[in-house]
Amino acid sequence: MAAPMESWGEAGRLLSIALQRATRAAERARQQTEFAERHERLAARTGREFHRSMAATHRRIAERHLTTASLQHSYAASLAAWSTGHGDRPRFMAEVAAACGTASAALTLIDSDLNQLAVATSDQLARDAQDLEYVLGIGPAREAAEHKQPVLASGAALDGRWPGYGTGLDSLGLCSVAALPLKAPNGCIGALTLFDPLPGRAETGELDEVAGAVTDNVLLGPDADPDLYGGVDLRAVVHQAAGVMSGRTHCSVDEALALIKARAFARGESAEAVARRIVYEAMDLD
Amino acid sequence: MTIPHQQLADALLALAAEPGDTLTPGAFLARLCAHSVELLGVDAAGAVLVEHGRSSRHVGASNPEVARLEQDAVKWRQGPAHDCWNSGAALTETALDPAVQRARWPRYAPRALALGHERVTALPLHLRDACVGSLVLLRGGGTPLSPDRLALGRALTEAAAISLLRENQLLESRTRTAQLEHALTSRIIVEQAKGVLSTRMGGTVDEAFDHLRHYARSHRLKVADVAVDIVAGRPLPDWPYQQDEPPRA
Repeated sequence: MAAPMESWGEAGRLLSIALQRATRAAERARQQTEFAERHERLAARTGREFHRSMAATHRRIAERHLTTASLQHSYAASLAAWSTGHGDRPRFMAEVAAACGTASAALTLIDSDLNQLAVATSDQLARDAQDLEYVLGIGPAREAAEHKQPVLASGAALDGRWPGYGTGLDSLGLCSVAALPLKAPNGCIGALTLFDPLPGRAETGELDEVAGAVTDNVLLGPDADPDLYGGVDLRAVVHQAAGVMSGRTHCSVDEALALIKARAFARGESAEAVARRIVYEAMDLD
Repeated sequence: MTIPHQQLADALLALAAEPGDTLTPGAFLARLCAHSVELLGVDAAGAVLVEHGRSSRHVGASNPEVARLEQDAVKWRQGPAHDCWNSGAALTETALDPAVQRARWPRYAPRALALGHERVTALPLHLRDACVGSLVLLRGGGTPLSPDRLALGRALTEAAAISLLRENQLLESRTRTAQLEHALTSRIIVEQAKGVLSTRMGGTVDEAFDHLRHYARSHRLKVADVAVDIVAGRPLPDWPYQQDEPPRA
């Protein structure tokens, strides 16, 4: 679908932001490389371990900025295509998915009690797959975040690990999943889930690099945009519905949220679909 | 005298402590100074750390007299720690003779001499590319500090720098993570409050949000704070809209 007239301005605005972020990330990579080179020269001259370890640290940070620059740059290219009337409004998560060698990826932000706070996805398939985990309350993203370890599973093992999850993925036409924790130095802020990733890709460490760049530079860094260009969804209507249920039945919002998810699971629907009926059609859950 | 490798390794490890080791900056500097005295054979050591530009300074030392001296030196903006931090370069061993007393450190030098210290060396503490403080080594008379000991002193300040850098990154990350979580949680609670209000008042969620915003503005409160009270069922002072029974906790 071509971008309608009013979105040209929006495309141009986002394009300019993405290009600026790409440039700043590349500049940070260059600066970190310079620091690394200086320490490498000092290490060669003095043989001191301090300089070797500082050089390695700066090289690692430089690499992460380069990955960020590349994500921002490819997003800018997608925005440029959109602005000339090609395709739907591009999602930043689509670039993240592509960098991980898949078409479908979901980013889940969680709080310190492992509650899902928000989600961003590359496409509708990834969204449907992530909604499954949201409704079930169990799945690879939660597990990756809880144990701060990558989680890989496919085929029959999926249902064994998370009852109902594998069947749900299968009905979406997906058969494997990789989830990477979004690790901050003092904890974990969420997970990056890849659906049907290329075999062997998850073991190389490349994906950790993408997850690291998204965490350090896109979600948390000094140039952060934790809204991912407007791609992050809080599931507003689900929380409104939890409020409505709480107001109606005097249960807590947490209990109401659990009821909404249970109803969604029982009906094979998304939590949003159930929530919209509660908010806009005055549906009761009893 | 040579330093046993184990002793040196212990000192470096103690300085480059793992994150989560909750030393105050002053205690961390005191640890650096204690190791400096032990490993470098100096009589005393003091260290100063300048945080966030020039707004806050921390001082640590191997003994209370030197701690007081370095604290005063910070106030006077004078002395080896100050000069070393200012220039970002090491201050080679300097004798506290009458010329230095008069010209360079008129307040610092007499106090240091009174404590029995005749020679002073200062090494910079670097964080990323900036100098954020210095380590001052104080000695009585005798032979100058050997190049070996000086190199060891640099190794100590470098180990301290790695630890400071890590602490710094941890703090930044903790702040940003907390901000992100807080921002998302606040927005979620506002959505919940819209739902609660729409039911109590019998309107749409958009109308509920208008009431919420209007109430917050007229009471000079944050929308998110009012939302927390609404969701928890706490009574709001002069809430002009109909309020019924609160939810159970």
